[in-house]
Amino acid sequence: MKSLQEQVMKISNKCGTVFDIKRFATHDGEGIRTTIFLKGCPLNCVWCQNPEGIQKQRQVLYLKRKCIKCGLCVKASTHGGIKMTSDGILYERNIEEDWDHILYLCPTNALHFDSREYTLTEIMNEIAKDQVFYKHNGGVTLSGGEPLYQFDFAYAIAKECKAKGIHVAIETTLAIDKEKLQQIVPYLDQIYVDLKIMDDKQHRTYVGAGNKQILANISYLLTSEYKDKVIIRTPLIPKLSATKTNIKQISKFISNLDSEVRYELLNYNPLAKAKYEYLNQPYCFDQNPDPFTQSEMESYYELARSNGIKHIIVE
Amino acid sequence: MELKQSSRIAILKEKMLSQKRYVSIEQAKIITDVYKRNENKPMILKRALALKEALEYIEIGIEPEEQIVGNRTKGVRSGVVFPEGGCSWVDRELETLPKRPQDKFHVHPEDIQTFREVILPYWQGKSLEDVIAYRGGEQITAISKVAKINQTDHAQGHICPNCETWLEKGPAILKAEALAKIDSAPAEQKDFYESIVIVMDGAIMFMQRYRDLLKETASRAENKGYREDLLNLSGICDRLSKYPAQSFHEAVQSVWFLFVILQMESNASSFSPGRMDKFLYPYYRNDIDHHIIDDQQALELIESIWLKFNQIVYLRNKSGAKYFAGFPIGFNIAIGGLDEKGEAYENELSYLFLKAQEHLGLPQPNLSLRLNHKTSDKLLKASIHVVAKGSGMPQFFNDECIVPGMIDLGIEKKDAMDYAIVGCVELTTQGNNLGWSDSAMFNFNKALELTLNHGTCLITNQKLAPDFGGLEIYDTYEALEIAFEKTIDFYMEQMIACCEIVEKAHIDILPSPFLSSVIDNCMEKGVDVTAGGAKYNLNGIQMIQVANLADSLAALKKLVYEEKRIQRKALLNALQTNFENNEIMRQILLNKVDKYGNDVEWVDTLGITWAKKFRNKLRSFKNYRGGVYHTGMYTVSAHVPMGENVGASPDGRFSQTPLADGGMSAVYGRDTKGPTAVFKSVSRIDNDLTTNGGLLNMKFLPTFFKHDTGIDKFSSFLRSFVDLKIPHVQFNVVCKEDLLAAQEHPEQYRSLTIRVAGYTAYFTELAGELQNEIIARTSYEDI
Repeated sequence: MKSLQEQVMKISNKCGTVFDIKRFATHDGEGIRTTIFLKGCPLNCVWCQNPEGIQKQRQVLYLKRKCIKCGLCVKASTHGGIKMTSDGILYERNIEEDWDHILYLCPTNALHFDSREYTLTEIMNEIAKDQVFYKHNGGVTLSGGEPLYQFDFAYAIAKECKAKGIHVAIETTLAIDKEKLQQIVPYLDQIYVDLKIMDDKQHRTYVGAGNKQILANISYLLTSEYKDKVIIRTPLIPKLSATKTNIKQISKFISNLDSEVRYELLNYNPLAKAKYEYLNQPYCFDQNPDPFTQSEMESYYELARSNGIKHIIVE
Repeated sequence: MELKQSSRIAILKEKMLSQKRYVSIEQAKIITDVYKRNENKPMILKRALALKEALEYIEIGIEPEEQIVGNRTKGVRSGVVFPEGGCSWVDRELETLPKRPQDKFHVHPEDIQTFREVILPYWQGKSLEDVIAYRGGEQITAISKVAKINQTDHAQGHICPNCETWLEKGPAILKAEALAKIDSAPAEQKDFYESIVIVMDGAIMFMQRYRDLLKETASRAENKGYREDLLNLSGICDRLSKYPAQSFHEAVQSVWFLFVILQMESNASSFSPGRMDKFLYPYYRNDIDHHIIDDQQALELIESIWLKFNQIVYLRNKSGAKYFAGFPIGFNIAIGGLDEKGEAYENELSYLFLKAQEHLGLPQPNLSLRLNHKTSDKLLKASIHVVAKGSGMPQFFNDECIVPGMIDLGIEKKDAMDYAIVGCVELTTQGNNLGWSDSAMFNFNKALELTLNHGTCLITNQKLAPDFGGLEIYDTYEALEIAFEKTIDFYMEQMIACCEIVEKAHIDILPSPFLSSVIDNCMEKGVDVTAGGAKYNLNGIQMIQVANLADSLAALKKLVYEEKRIQRKALLNALQTNFENNEIMRQILLNKVDKYGNDVEWVDTLGITWAKKFRNKLRSFKNYRGGVYHTGMYTVSAHVPMGENVGASPDGRFSQTPLADGGMSAVYGRDTKGPTAVFKSVSRIDNDLTTNGGLLNMKFLPTFFKHDTGIDKFSSFLRSFVDLKIPHVQFNVVCKEDLLAAQEHPEQYRSLTIRVAGYTAYFTELAGELQNEIIARTSYEDI
């Protein structure tokens, strides 16, 4: 029996941990795509939309809505990791239990792992399933977490796809060594870079680390031969990243590097909050704000334009 | 220039929708009277005379501002009682028609009396329904839970007449041709030609009655423009009664007369125009080239006939209304496709038809786009724009798999390339084929139930089939398969026998001379279409429902036989008690094994294997007209009543709940890997299994189409659909809130149409149960 704490995955070029494979993804690049969500992120944004992707380890998740309170898991628990209450079960995911067996027993899959390990062959087989759709402009998108966090795996996938003629996009924070970035970039066809907050101190507060490395990597990419592959994105988080100063600073920074840079402002997505509920983690907003209205979005676009951005990506 | 819907079309549409639907017995009285006066004449002559008198005497009317005239009753959307088909059910259900859950009709009280005193007594024992009941009623009922035999109380329909022949000849020339044949014809064919002459006389009179009515109305019209319109239309009717169609307006009017008369003869579902953009094009081109009309006027004429297609509905019995809810009448029109050389076909009319659909958004015609590798981006995207409006149309068919499938069936290549669709999704060649598409529905899931439960029905405990064993007896999956095959064979043989009884009764009771005049080879051979006069004579059986079958077999294979997680006896017991106190087991069946529709090959092929066996065995039989039996995978709305016949199943489905919808679709809610996975799963269904038609439903929310990038992605998606050789797909574009609101305030959503299965119906006119079912179907958000 192993506790989850001990089940640290091997990060090798032969396998990696994936917390979702979304087929028919239509928002992460051209055409119809298969998006691979690689687990683990060196950052820790308080608003993260995929909080299950931050932790490197595989975790047990519980969907209360699906639970029929049959108690099979409680009976199988040998170390008190699961208790029955009138409101469903209570579980302590860090307690040592035979979680594989317990999850096998759960008849509804209310208890399930948030991710699973794939070998390169397995993941390429998954990707190959939608080959017929890639022919008409589609491809694969690597996302996360931070997809470059499991660098060897991400690199192997990108290289393999390139060899098969599959278009590869990536959604990255660029929180990675420059050497590694240089190594993978020839295999990427489209690079979405998240630049969330320009101010280093605030970046530390809300994103969980400084932004020096990120800015340096952006500077490298936007002045390299790969600059046309790049789209810079900022998620508009009310009060945190969606401030005039921040958008202005980001716009200036990137347009000074490359006057033709493409920039996309992503509207706030309130749906992420639900994920925190089933992860049993606190979310950055008690009162979930609404997404920005069309006219508010327009004013952010205008702000970006007046600070040097020529190409705003609006979906 | 952006083409607009004219105000008169908008007015006519509103007027049509606001009219109440009534049952009409007017034609039934005429038919009964003619039969009484001609007792000793051969059936085909009685039928011809009855049609002729109906054409001569049925009350006709015109609506102000109509550009295309004609209907089989004076009111629109009447439910016509057709005694030759069946009266017994009408007698049983007359009082409940206004109150029944699906497809209500009002009934005039005096008609009830006339029906019972005059019509019913004459037809008892004579109608198709009664003859079939006498010859094989017990047999048909005995197998009905597994093999439901259709077309037992109405004419067959499901035919594309040869519209080109009709346009190029018209009733006068067709009559002359029949007259020329009579003298030299052998005795047994004389009646056939004689009957053609009679019905063409009727058709001529019918057109001339409209001519006279229009002229007479014109004489009273005060507005000069209106008067000229009426006189113009009167002239068109006059010319059509004597000559072939010349102008575009004449051609459109002529097509409509054809379909009205076909309905008056047969009162059947699904006479379909087929490739109307192709056969109307010469008339359109000529009028445009000679500046007789412009596109705006052409569009108005198209929208006029589009409205007309909604004015004939089909009165089914209570059970039929459940299986085919929303009175689909199946005026299917196919646009695009291939030309004779195998190149992509499209023309200006293809786009005008799409525009008409976009403007009107009504359930009829059932607009279909034939796609292939060469289809232009322009046509594809124009279609997606119309799909995005949410009427569920056009639906998409795939030449790349349908054409080879038809050739494999023995159809000549040129006919296969020119295929069209009848009714919902039934495939046919045009103008030369009695396809008998909806012969029977074979419920694999009921057959599996009987195999598992010793031949005994789980719902009624009745012994229905031989006991080839039971789940607790079959100690291997292979043993189960052997017994399942025996059960299927048992029912297949009886089904064939029943189909023959039905076909034979149609030959005896419902010869159809008017229809025969527009189906290739009937006139040449002097043989009625029901008796095998057509060039092609197919018979189509639907296999119900491969998705549930795959899910049930996958659960049995993996959880029962491989993992032994569930004991055979315990499962059988759970099925017998509809999972009472067995929710844990049911959840295991639902969640611990892969399901059809998620691109998991071993599960997807489990159901398909049986479909193949079934189809191959079926091909060893010949139908009563000498043609082949083939298979389809579509249910229309029958997945609900078919599900009511099936007890609890090993896929975790509760007793009597609906089966998967569509025909090739996954069980709703079980396709969790998204649309590309659904496409991949469905693409595993071999093309020769769906030569009679396949049906795949998908639902998208409107947000997907909000931007051009969404339209582009959708078009890539459909290109992949072509590559994957999937025969059919249709899309509902609505959000859940729309549907809930429509349930709440039906009056505000009167024209909200939704694809039920192979056709589109008014959402608010569907039974509540079916509405809920549609809401529950999987929808793909803009993920």
